[in-house]
Amino acid sequence: MTTIKSNDLTYDFKKKTSAGKIKIKVWGKSQIVMLLTFLSLFILTVYGFWTFDLKGISLIEATNETLYNLKVMFLQPSFSHFTLLDAVGQIGITLGLGFLSTLLGVILSLFLALFAAKNLSTKTVSNAIIVVVTFIRAVPTVLWVLILAIAAGLGSEAVILGMVLHSVAFLVKAFSESFEEVDEGIIEALRASGANWWHIVTHAVIPTTASSLLSWSFLRFETNFTVAVAMGAAAGAGGIGFELLMASGFYFDLREVGFITYFILVIAIGLELFSTQLKKRFLTNASA
Amino acid sequence: MALLHVKDVSKHYEKGKNVLSDINMEIFEGEFVSIIGPSGAGKSTFLRCINRMINISEGDIHFDGIDVSSLNKKSLRKHRTKIGMIFQHYNLVSRLTVIENVLHGRFGHKSTLQGVLGMFTEDEKMEAFHLLEKLGMSEHAYKRCDQLSGGQKQRVGIARALIQSPKLLLCDEPIASLDPNASKVIMDHLQSISKEMNITCIVNLHQVDVARKYSDRVIGLNSGRVVYDGESKALSSKAIHAIYGSEAGSLIME
Repeated sequence: MTTIKSNDLTYDFKKKTSAGKIKIKVWGKSQIVMLLTFLSLFILTVYGFWTFDLKGISLIEATNETLYNLKVMFLQPSFSHFTLLDAVGQIGITLGLGFLSTLLGVILSLFLALFAAKNLSTKTVSNAIIVVVTFIRAVPTVLWVLILAIAAGLGSEAVILGMVLHSVAFLVKAFSESFEEVDEGIIEALRASGANWWHIVTHAVIPTTASSLLSWSFLRFETNFTVAVAMGAAAGAGGIGFELLMASGFYFDLREVGFITYFILVIAIGLELFSTQLKKRFLTNASA
Repeated sequence: MALLHVKDVSKHYEKGKNVLSDINMEIFEGEFVSIIGPSGAGKSTFLRCINRMINISEGDIHFDGIDVSSLNKKSLRKHRTKIGMIFQHYNLVSRLTVIENVLHGRFGHKSTLQGVLGMFTEDEKMEAFHLLEKLGMSEHAYKRCDQLSGGQKQRVGIARALIQSPKLLLCDEPIASLDPNASKVIMDHLQSISKEMNITCIVNLHQVDVARKYSDRVIGLNSGRVVYDGESKALSSKAIHAIYGSEAGSLIME
């Protein structure tokens, strides 16, 4: 290495520490804010643990109890209040909830997404739909279900409505983004030949995006299945989620809880694997 | 009477920045016209003004005796069916088959329902096969367009434009993405279309020698103005340099 003397530099931008060494790290505003944030979080955590109110529970005993419960739940699963056939039937109901809400959601959002896509619609209409849809998406599905329960009553109707609403909000965004990726040239070519909007949508936009529409729909079905499990319990829509609630909160049957959990897990993993395959094949931009 | 009559046409997106200024020309039936000029000279914009994919700011364009700027939505569709267009990037729906893409050219003659349901008559399908045969593509009729080479895709694009039974063919750099072999095939097809079917062709080109070889007439555009309009045989190298604003010896063709 050749030694370069400090006076070789044309412009002297280097900074030095108090000890006279050249600095390589500069403390800016953002670094200081970051450091303070971490520091205060650390202090809060320590303080939180320090002031735990344990109500006389021994930590070791409690840990043992929990581990024992988990062992019963997951290593000795069995069912006592219903048969395997019942469980399959209940899973069917949950899948049905998920399927119906996805189906309705897909149909509705297909039309809305056409008007939300910037290349197929006007700016005003597109922005209006996107604002509404973003608002709906920002509110969790559970809240929509509870809000709609005012009109529909707690039960499967409110659950379906709430899930459809949230699915539409999600799918309109996903679908319209797929539509926006359609090559502008294809649309131009058809417009130049005298084709109207409906011709272009049905014969160029939909065929081009069909596979990604399908993948998004399935992705949403997978989400809707999980939501339907929770909704079965929380909003009384029935299905495997309701059985889970009964087993845990009503019968305190840990073995049954374990069994149902495994059952849901198997279905969820199955769906997940399938949709990952779809995603890999057809969605290049799946980030949402 | 001229098929296309362009009078004092200007186009600007922002005030004071003209993309096209004072374009005047008459193009006659069956003529093969090339438009050459540097990138950004307004060649593509000019083509799109003819079928009103872009609205002009000033002047008028008369096509087939009709004032293009006065058309309403319905008659604009009818106007566009009389003008076929082909593109540098072919702009086909690559997921669909060749024959489906060719039939897309018939949408302009269809009602919404007929088009949406894809109701094409046997005559139209027969015509599509005739065109594909003429372009040497009939064996590929049921192939998906993403399996074709560039030259083949462009031939599908031409078939899609021809099935409109147009009076004018606008070609926006049809050979800019093709190798010399495919370029020749495409240019030969365009020439025979113009000669045999008596369809007027306006072709944007970057290749001056191609323009000179194939066209009856060359129009040179620079910065939105017509700087040359004359027979292709009379196109001197001095005129070419005037079109491209270049010095003698600085163009790749020399």
